[in-house]
Amino acid sequence: MTKKKVISPVTGSVWKIECAVGQTVAEGDVLMVLESMKMEIPVEAPAAGVVESLAVAEGDPVDEDAVVGMIAS
Amino acid sequence: MMAAEAGIPSAEDAEAELARREARALAMGGPDKLRRRRERGVLDARARIERLIDPGSFHEIGMLGVSMRPEDREATPADGKVTGYGRISGRRVAVVSNDFTVKGASSSMTNMRKIAHVKRVATERGMPIVFLGESSGARMPDNMGARGMGALLGNDPAQYVRDRRTPWAAAVLGQCFGSSAWYSCLSDFTVMRRGAVLAVASHGLASLAIGQTVDPEDLGGWQLHSERTGLVDRVVDTDAEALDEIRRFLSYLPSHCNEVPPRAPAPDETGEAMRAAAGRLARIVPGNRRQGYDMRKVIEAVADPGSFFELKPRFGRVASTGLARMGGRAVGFIANNPMFKAGALDVDACEKITRFLVLCDSFNIPIVLLVDTPGFVIGIEGEKRKAPGKIMNFMTALQLCTVPKLSLILRKSYGQAYLNMGGGRNSDEVAAWPSAEVSFMDPDYAADVVTWGRGADEAERARVRAAMAQDSAVFGLAEINAVHRVVRPHETRAYLLEMLDIHLMRPSGGVGAHRMAFWPTTY
Repeated sequence: MTKKKVISPVTGSVWKIECAVGQTVAEGDVLMVLESMKMEIPVEAPAAGVVESLAVAEGDPVDEDAVVGMIAS
Repeated sequence: MMAAEAGIPSAEDAEAELARREARALAMGGPDKLRRRRERGVLDARARIERLIDPGSFHEIGMLGVSMRPEDREATPADGKVTGYGRISGRRVAVVSNDFTVKGASSSMTNMRKIAHVKRVATERGMPIVFLGESSGARMPDNMGARGMGALLGNDPAQYVRDRRTPWAAAVLGQCFGSSAWYSCLSDFTVMRRGAVLAVASHGLASLAIGQTVDPEDLGGWQLHSERTGLVDRVVDTDAEALDEIRRFLSYLPSHCNEVPPRAPAPDETGEAMRAAAGRLARIVPGNRRQGYDMRKVIEAVADPGSFFELKPRFGRVASTGLARMGGRAVGFIANNPMFKAGALDVDACEKITRFLVLCDSFNIPIVLLVDTPGFVIGIEGEKRKAPGKIMNFMTALQLCTVPKLSLILRKSYGQAYLNMGGGRNSDEVAAWPSAEVSFMDPDYAADVVTWGRGADEAERARVRAAMAQDSAVFGLAEINAVHRVVRPHETRAYLLEMLDIHLMRPSGGVGAHRMAFWPTTY
């Protein structure tokens, strides 16, 4: 089993979490939507697998390149 | 038979001497140093050349060059830099490969003459030059003292002129100070291996100078150069990958500025893959203007499959720049990326785009600008970095281009950025998707500006905003021929292919006027 980090592409805040821990996702599925500079920025699954953990909750601030979750596949 | 004159070597003796000198040159810095490099997984100067060029194509010049100091002659095989000519994908190139096992590949008279020689030949005969960098700077004690300086440095009045007559590609493959650093900055493409260092002087010297320990990664590591300075275009993990990247970069470029880049086979436009890509476009770009997306997916869906070669992916990220192919022909893509900073252009993006415009224009590569930007970033940080000046550099470069420029507005194009991204007469053809919006200012801000001081309530501001949004619809531009075509998303690739073909520079055989051939390499 390999684990892949889900990385935030921007500095902003977590607006909506669109997945649950334990959910099976495909590569490219939107896991959460961040808000940055008044724009909604989707964070996509880097690989197909199961959402093993989420490191952020709605409303949390998030930095560019921060790990926001882990996918196990 | 006449008796041989005393003291004159025979023909056999001369050939034996040649063989001895060649063997000494090929031994480089000796088996111990070479073995330590192999153990570290780093290639030596000659192995790099072999890996870079087509098998068996290397023709070395200056192999027997050595130090001008008699006491160093036996210790300086090839005087520390291997130079010559080869082929990459069948096309001739010139190569300079630094041999760090020989006095740190430091610069001195003989090796500088060798570099000058291959530069001269490559420039005059139309060959790209590849600089494989790893050097410790000027050689000591050769360059020390007034006489040393005068004899060795500053004697080539054109050494650091970048006249873009043939493409230059550089790799930062170890410690790069002095000549390796300079040529990395002057080159059109620079790839760096993680762990290598590019700086004015070594961390040892820097530590001495400031009396504190300087970390080489802070001084000139891959993160600094790929994310902060932008001096490096791409980052890799091994020497071999760096050499492959150079081969890939050169495949989009002509051998010299008076020809078009080589053409690759064009994909089958009627195939399922191409039609699926066309259908994807409308899904990649959300209709809701508040939703961001990665513009690089648009480029990948529009360009020939797998052809997008992004430059500086981690620098000035709000702009995406890269080489690609359309119907097999090399093209340069410049695009705003709404994923970052809502697509608002900042100083780094201006620098990155300006440099890319110069590259494409100098080597006859047409430019496609994909637009989705609310304008330039406003604020103190940008002003401290001379934002207005950088915006003007960008405009100057755009307006000096003589290669075809095609601009396509996907969603937003506001303010000065509308001009910088090819609006109006700043490109040869302007097109837009039906839902594109163009105005001087985003209605959200503009409504506040025009109602300021009038005591307007939210309802009135909302009315003003709505009226402005209506006026921003791109059909206003189409009605006055400031947008020449409104294309549906799935028609984008077909439209661009048609326009690239219409705008082939037929009278000059595809060659532009290169008005930026001498543009500075960093600014």
